[in-house]
Amino acid sequence: MGGVLDFITNTLGGLWSDSGLRSLFADGGWKNLIMILVSFVFMYLAIAKGFEPLLLLPISFGMLLTNLPMAGLYHPDLWVLVDGHVNYGEVLKEGGLLDILYLGVKLQLYPPLIFLGIGCMTDFSPLIANPKSFLLGAAAQGGIFFTFIVAGLLGFTAAEAGSIAIIGGADGPTAIYVSTRLLTGGGAITTGNIALAAYTYMALVPIIQPPIMKALTSKKERSVKMEQLRTVSKTEKIIFPIAVTIIVSLLVPSAAPLVGMLMFGNLLKESGVAARLIDTAQNALMNIITIFLGISVGATTKAEQIINLKFGGVMLLGVVAFSLGTACGLIFGKIMYKVTRGKVNPLIGSAGVSAVPMAARIAQKVGAETDPTNFLLMHAMGPNVAGVIGSAVAAGVLLSVIG
Amino acid sequence: MTLFPVLTADKVLRGSEKLSGTEIASMTLIGLAVVFVALLVLVIFLYATGGIFKKQSGKPKKAAPQKAAAPKPASPKAAPAAPKKEASPSASPAPAADTDDSEVIAVIMAAIAAMGAADGKKYRLRSVKQVTRGGSGRSVWAQAGISDATRPF
Repeated sequence: MGGVLDFITNTLGGLWSDSGLRSLFADGGWKNLIMILVSFVFMYLAIAKGFEPLLLLPISFGMLLTNLPMAGLYHPDLWVLVDGHVNYGEVLKEGGLLDILYLGVKLQLYPPLIFLGIGCMTDFSPLIANPKSFLLGAAAQGGIFFTFIVAGLLGFTAAEAGSIAIIGGADGPTAIYVSTRLLTGGGAITTGNIALAAYTYMALVPIIQPPIMKALTSKKERSVKMEQLRTVSKTEKIIFPIAVTIIVSLLVPSAAPLVGMLMFGNLLKESGVAARLIDTAQNALMNIITIFLGISVGATTKAEQIINLKFGGVMLLGVVAFSLGTACGLIFGKIMYKVTRGKVNPLIGSAGVSAVPMAARIAQKVGAETDPTNFLLMHAMGPNVAGVIGSAVAAGVLLSVIG
Repeated sequence: MTLFPVLTADKVLRGSEKLSGTEIASMTLIGLAVVFVALLVLVIFLYATGGIFKKQSGKPKKAAPQKAAAPKPASPKAAPAAPKKEASPSASPAPAADTDDSEVIAVIMAAIAAMGAADGKKYRLRSVKQVTRGGSGRSVWAQAGISDATRPF
């Protein structure tokens, strides 16, 4: 009888010591508990508030899974560089499900594939019709580089400063692409931190941008009605992605994977002869990659990497980056307003941060608040899509210079 | 071929090291300059190709919005005959559109006839003219469509 009792006690003791519940209440387990609660907050924001739900929901669920003790879905220690390299053999042998999915992030496969789908869905006509928009897209990248200054002065390393600064590009896949390349693991900041900040602020664009737009522009500037855009021929639309790929890849080769795939997707769209490929790229493929990207990036948000002062710094600098990007676009818009003697509405400059199409819709909304008969949406789409190309070029520059 | 060889050479900044003031300033200036130069090249290219295509198409830069008079309501005169389609062209002296709009006119007639059918009245359609709204250069239908599509939140 005593033997049976011992057996039951030992078995139950073993089960308890192997259980996640025990780890949750062991040393440092409270951090996991906090992260699980944080994941609930993000799930709430995605489901109830509709904040970037397609990415925030997988990211928050990845956050939940990775912070469940003993589940073993993701192992940050496998991704720490040894002699400058990740031991991929070890990842395949010992890794959990999310480690395997994270391979696509670490090897920079997912962001360019997402860009392929985005290219299939993007109409560059407003940009082709009004090439000046490119300059607004370039100016808004000032948010990236001015944030780099702030982060550098605050004592972040070059890789951390570059990863934080790219949040100002307001482009999730680009931010993930850059931070995965620059952050080598083992540090206080991970790709998950950067992605979390980037997507949170992208969802908050309707709250962050309008006050800055109103503060930096006068009512007269906001009420400028712009000339209707010319019609763009099909041939121009086909030449555009090919030319952009060649020009950008020659100037900044590191931007080629992102810009190349974006333009490939757009060529598929504009060619009009690859309906099946477009359908796959912008629907099935994009959805699959979005799930893999979101959940595996969410998995990198282990408690010890989030609950620290540096993550607070990332979140703070993230909003600085967004605000500076918006302000730089607006200021350049004001310069164009002066140069063209009032033909350009400076509000469209704020759409130069990527965040397609939300930033363009904000420009439309703020413009319509001043004059309800003013339609800036198509004019703002030019700088908006230029911002996607601009942030990819800026990403290329960061990757080229920081090693 | 690489136009910015410095960007493909060995990395200038070590990722794991903190930045000096000079490095921060240089990085910011170079970064902004490269982004502007790259996009400026694209601007020049687009203006060049845009110019060629505009010349080829031989069209003016902007089609002048057709100015039209204020809308004239269809004459509410009661007519003994039902507003049949074939009666319209003879009854309407100058349909404004320069293309064959007989189908559109038929639809408008049908709509008016349907409105009149309820109270037993009959109408004759005398003219159909394009209307633009002051300042915007768009027709009321385009204006309504844009309003609908751009109402964001």
